[in-house]
Amino acid sequence: MSDLAKISINGLTKRYGQTLAVDNMSLSVPAGSIFGLLGTNGAGKTTTFKCMLGLAQPTSILFDGTPLVPEMFERMSYVPERCALYDWMTGAEHMELQRRSFRFYDHKRALQLMDLFGLDAKKKIGKYSKGQQTAMALVLAFSIHPEVLVLDEPSSGLDPVHQRHVLDLMISESTGGATVIFSSHQVGQVERAAERVAIMHEGTLRLTGEVEQLKADVKVIEATFDGDAPSVNGLQSDPSVGLVRRAGRLLRVYVRGNGDEIARTISTKGPRSLRILDQNLEDIFLTTVGASPAADLPES
Amino acid sequence: MPAVFTVDPHSGVPMYLQLIEQIKRSVALGVLAPGEQLPTVKQLAMDLTINPNTVARVYRELERDGVIETSPGRGSFIRGNGGVRNATRAAADVAAAAIDTAVREAKSIGITPQQARDLFQRAVEHWYPGQHETEDRSL
Repeated sequence: MSDLAKISINGLTKRYGQTLAVDNMSLSVPAGSIFGLLGTNGAGKTTTFKCMLGLAQPTSILFDGTPLVPEMFERMSYVPERCALYDWMTGAEHMELQRRSFRFYDHKRALQLMDLFGLDAKKKIGKYSKGQQTAMALVLAFSIHPEVLVLDEPSSGLDPVHQRHVLDLMISESTGGATVIFSSHQVGQVERAAERVAIMHEGTLRLTGEVEQLKADVKVIEATFDGDAPSVNGLQSDPSVGLVRRAGRLLRVYVRGNGDEIARTISTKGPRSLRILDQNLEDIFLTTVGASPAADLPES
Repeated sequence: MPAVFTVDPHSGVPMYLQLIEQIKRSVALGVLAPGEQLPTVKQLAMDLTINPNTVARVYRELERDGVIETSPGRGSFIRGNGGVRNATRAAADVAAAAIDTAVREAKSIGITPQQARDLFQRAVEHWYPGQHETEDRSL
């Protein structure tokens, strides 16, 4: 896994008529990494994916430092959010289509994956459930030993067991050198599987970085008291303190930096317990898209 | 490998630290024996469904701490006695943190220093029956 960017998006802007779907977005996805894209509905995730694949015309997107060339499609798998299979064809016929279209199609692998997701190759796609259709699209995507996997909501409609399989497949491909970029509404999946994450909102990139680093940047000091949580002098005015939440016996303080000093200050108030925690990705996401109470409090 | 690890991405403790602590504890307790082979980065990443880089970081830090050794092409193994000693020392850190938390809690509910010492002494007598003074200085 090198730091070389497999995919770099520079100043991507995409309009649909009057609507600005993506506005001046720049992203870099390191080769061999798993990259998670988070965003509310309509944030521009799917548009970004489409631009990456040349399905919509982008401003500038580079793969391995060069613009997208047709040969690249041979080593690239895209699973769109809405399933794009033919209802009247069977699973086996789709595999045959994949074999004829992709040089690196691996039939043994495809059969293993059909088995993993419990799919019947003799059935027509129209007879599959929505989750099975998603699974079929994934089987095809993973069967060609792709260098780049672009997965738009790859686990939607799948049961929790199959969702785990999808994450494990992504992890496995990434250790084999493939670059994976995926979007998900399940923040927990991104938190587990992705090395880096980007959060989009209303067409713009709001935050990007390494997942562990973003989580460690802001510490959550959580203190419980025997009675109501006391007010702590100087907390609100401290420049490193982002948000102070007091709920009954619980005091929760969000601090930029390591939080040790603030924790010491709080501990002089005699809390029953005191913990310094990393923020979780869901908190970060909600704060970033302005959906959390943290948004209307002073920024640090 | 008999040890089963779990990580909780939501717990507030970085996943790599959770895993390091669990592996060290397993070594200190003898669940992982010296010479025993650890799963590959890929295998453990898939077992736990976490990013492979997280596992790679865990192995790097365990190697730096002298708990495991990695030989290219063969894999990662629990080190000999040094590994156990290093892991035991790490497990002792966990114990120290637990005692610290307990004392802080005792203080916060108004227990006097003398009462705290009595409580500690009682716990020691309970868990080390028949041992007045521990001779073991290996920690």
